[in-house]
Amino acid sequence: MFPELNNILNSTPDSFKSSDFILVSDRQADASFLIHHYLSFYLRAGCKVCFLGLVQSFSHYSAVGQRLGVSLAQAREKGQLVFLEGLKDSIGAILQEESSQGTQHLSYLRSPGAGLKGLFRFVESSVRQNGDHDDGESWGPPVLLIDDLSVLLSLGVTVGAILDFTLYCQATMCTELQGNMVILVRCEEEDADDDEEGANLLQRGLVHQCNLALHVEGLPTGYCRDIHGQMQVWWRQSGETMYNPRKTFHFKVHDKGASFFARGTSSAVL
Amino acid sequence: MLLDVLQGAEPGGFILIQDTVKCTGRGILKCFINAALKRGEDVHVLGFEASETEVCAGLDRSCVQKLHFHKGFPDPLGWMCRSSFTVDQLTSQHITKLIKDSQHAKAPVLVIDSLSLVLRHHDPVVISQRLQVLRKGGDIKTIISLLHSDLHLHGVVGIVSQLASTVISVAPANNEHHAVATTTRRSKSGKVMQEEEYFNVSEDMTLSVQAKLRQHGHVQKEQKVAEADPASNLTFNLRLSEEERKAKEKLALPFVFSKEKKSALLRPTPGSGRIMYEPDANDDFDEEDPDDDLDV
Amino acid sequence: MAAPVRCMAGSSSRSNTTSFQKKTRSKLVSIPGTRPSVRSSSRSNTTSFQKKTRSKLVSIPGTRPSVQNGQLLLSSGVSSLDYVIGGGLAVGTLLLVEEDRYDSYSRMLLKYFLAEGVVCGHELFLASARDHPDEIMQELPSPIMDEVASLKISEGQPQPSDPENPDTMKIAWRYQNQPRVQTALASSLRFGHYYDVSKTMEPELRQTAKCHSFYQLQETPVTTGSSPLPSPYHALLKSIQTVIRKEGFDGSTPQSKTRNVLRLGLHSLGSALWGDDVCCKDNPAHCHALSTFLYALRGLLRTSLSVAMVTVPSHLIQNRAVMGRIIRLSDTAIALESFRGSEKETNPLYKDYHGLLHVRQLPHLNCLSCEGPDTKDLAFKLKRKQFTIERLHLPPDLSETVSRVSKTELAAGCGTTATGNKHLDF
Repeated sequence: MFPELNNILNSTPDSFKSSDFILVSDRQADASFLIHHYLSFYLRAGCKVCFLGLVQSFSHYSAVGQRLGVSLAQAREKGQLVFLEGLKDSIGAILQEESSQGTQHLSYLRSPGAGLKGLFRFVESSVRQNGDHDDGESWGPPVLLIDDLSVLLSLGVTVGAILDFTLYCQATMCTELQGNMVILVRCEEEDADDDEEGANLLQRGLVHQCNLALHVEGLPTGYCRDIHGQMQVWWRQSGETMYNPRKTFHFKVHDKGASFFARGTSSAVL
Repeated sequence: MLLDVLQGAEPGGFILIQDTVKCTGRGILKCFINAALKRGEDVHVLGFEASETEVCAGLDRSCVQKLHFHKGFPDPLGWMCRSSFTVDQLTSQHITKLIKDSQHAKAPVLVIDSLSLVLRHHDPVVISQRLQVLRKGGDIKTIISLLHSDLHLHGVVGIVSQLASTVISVAPANNEHHAVATTTRRSKSGKVMQEEEYFNVSEDMTLSVQAKLRQHGHVQKEQKVAEADPASNLTFNLRLSEEERKAKEKLALPFVFSKEKKSALLRPTPGSGRIMYEPDANDDFDEEDPDDDLDV
Repeated sequence: MAAPVRCMAGSSSRSNTTSFQKKTRSKLVSIPGTRPSVRSSSRSNTTSFQKKTRSKLVSIPGTRPSVQNGQLLLSSGVSSLDYVIGGGLAVGTLLLVEEDRYDSYSRMLLKYFLAEGVVCGHELFLASARDHPDEIMQELPSPIMDEVASLKISEGQPQPSDPENPDTMKIAWRYQNQPRVQTALASSLRFGHYYDVSKTMEPELRQTAKCHSFYQLQETPVTTGSSPLPSPYHALLKSIQTVIRKEGFDGSTPQSKTRNVLRLGLHSLGSALWGDDVCCKDNPAHCHALSTFLYALRGLLRTSLSVAMVTVPSHLIQNRAVMGRIIRLSDTAIALESFRGSEKETNPLYKDYHGLLHVRQLPHLNCLSCEGPDTKDLAFKLKRKQFTIERLHLPPDLSETVSRVSKTELAAGCGTTATGNKHLDF
């Protein structure tokens, strides 16, 4: 986890907001480093984590997790981490092999129009079964992490189906079980008439539902080796208040973490 | 005008609150619910997107028993088979049955939160027809609904807006503590009234309208932050002391005449040359072709 | 038979790699911040992103570990391209090449990729819809063997300088630790080979490599039922999976054979000859066919010792969103823009080059970040013995009148393309 990001968001593994829906999005940049942050954050906090890794293999997250100080393999063995390896399981479903008929959670691959009900059931069952710690304690509040949700659009699932899925996940995880949700969505370029089905529509729908939106983009002035991009933090309290503060930070990702600084205060500049 | 709409909902009305990512409309929706409760009306809320606790937070405690919340939220599509109200049940028969089940003296107010989820699953044409049937049915006094306008095609938002008698669009203002509401009200005779106002929603769900937006200059005034005085922190003095200022004002500028002299100059003096001109045949001005001698 | 030639190529490449690995092994230890993993990879043979232990490094010819994160890399055949994409292609990843307008340079890159596979002794899989794979194989450029041979000879000679540290300088020792200034973007560790484009590879050398091919026009269409993938892609995916399983690239067959890497070259996916209408219509019937195929291919690659290079005619794809999705589904993505036929051909600024190279995406695998290139303004030129990729230099302005050339055309985006105003006028 990144200590500077914890300071910005005012949270630590010992005390963080529950029932939080955090949306991480990017546009022509890569925000997956934030997923690694949240994965190590919640594992350190002792929460039960359900991770839908739809675009990378388990060993990728494991290797990065080692550098950030958590062992994913151990967490998986202990039952703290439930990891869905989307890539590995999907080949069977796409090629329609008999052995994969049993996997209901990947039903969206076999028939993309069907929706994500099967995937939701998988999520629900994995957070409800509360296996115990070694010393008899149960894990902390459940957390759902998804990397990344917009790849489902490439597989033919509609935006509406994905928004329904996230609504159900929010209802179960955040409202009922008082847990958290972190979802990564990768957006496309902004277009003039942007009301068509696409990742931008999906992102807008999710922003309506979320409590905290982190949006990562490249610098508007171009490529820079020392500043990898800018991140906009948008605190959205649920519903009524008009004032939803937004702040922008610059960041640089390095081997063992990421550093965040206010605009114009990069060490390369000062 | 926003407050008028809030206070007096005419029967058969359909109030549509449109919001976007930048500014949420749920606050105004809750103000409407609160106002209806305070007026003593029964309110039925079809909650699809937010939980009951979230919607009821901040509402007037004393009238809460007149609020009937139909739990769509944890399971609006029936996946878990434990919802009391699903999206498919937004039909006139069903709603009429719901209302008759909870007996009321007069027709209640129906609140839909939100219409976006319904439109995602059903044909917009079918939904508009159903809403119209509900409006005209007589069982419901008013329908108030929330719609996320940036989640649908422009055409779909247009259909629903056309159905509504009042459309309130919320947008963020430059000011942090207010937002801008554009209210468009269409009366039965076809007359349209439109107004833009700043508003604020307080903790107990009361709406306060701050100021009416007349023209853009008003907006500029609101956002003027105290600017730093540029004449400070200089090595030379740009300011004027009181005496200096008075002396400056007393100074007679060269071509500024006193009032008497001005009026004297403006009075026409008799006997000054006058030019009398009468156009004759050679001066035939053709307005369309001022340069008729040009050979271009 | 082909044995003598094979031995030379094979053993020289092997000896090349072992000697290079010796270098990198010592360098690995001395670089702070990276460490080889101690975890044994023998527990699960299915994933390829295991930090290979030292004994396993030697067994795969033509590969070397990355100095940044210990991943196994192999050469794309073009050493300057290897440098631009971070040292080489990581095993288990997908390289996407957006074709130039006439498919001349992208096809060249594909041939370099396959030729490198032949020289290193890797297995090949080539799929094409337009030209028969055998025709493409016959056009492979010939490797410049005397360089390879001379390296072997020089290995045998005793080193006059300190054998442990060949980099020590005798006279200019104060400059020993200064980083080398690199103008040409060539990696200092040569683990790739050079090819002579004017000659084609000897048939004996070519036949030493095992090549599987898939030619779309000859495949019988199979009804795929309700699969999300339409027929040609389904058949191609099935064929790739069969090859991977049969030859044991996913670790399913026992360890009797020495491990090898499979190089997949897929030419012009998305074109009409693959039965896909994504190139001609704004709203194609199967708009998710290509992206579903790439997703499944990514899954296959991650669970096997293989690398894929896919070329896509992106200049024909009408829908911008589709291209964005395809790029995000690949690991490394580059685009070639050739000057032939465009107005840039006569532009004096570009007279030294054949086209521009855009790096659309670089992978961060098994690590949070990796070093990107210094600049994104890259141009390429195909010379007889080398495909060079260089930083785009503006030639000196020797005209008598001052001409302000607009830099907007030249400023390529960032990694992270420029989202705002490009008209920065200094």
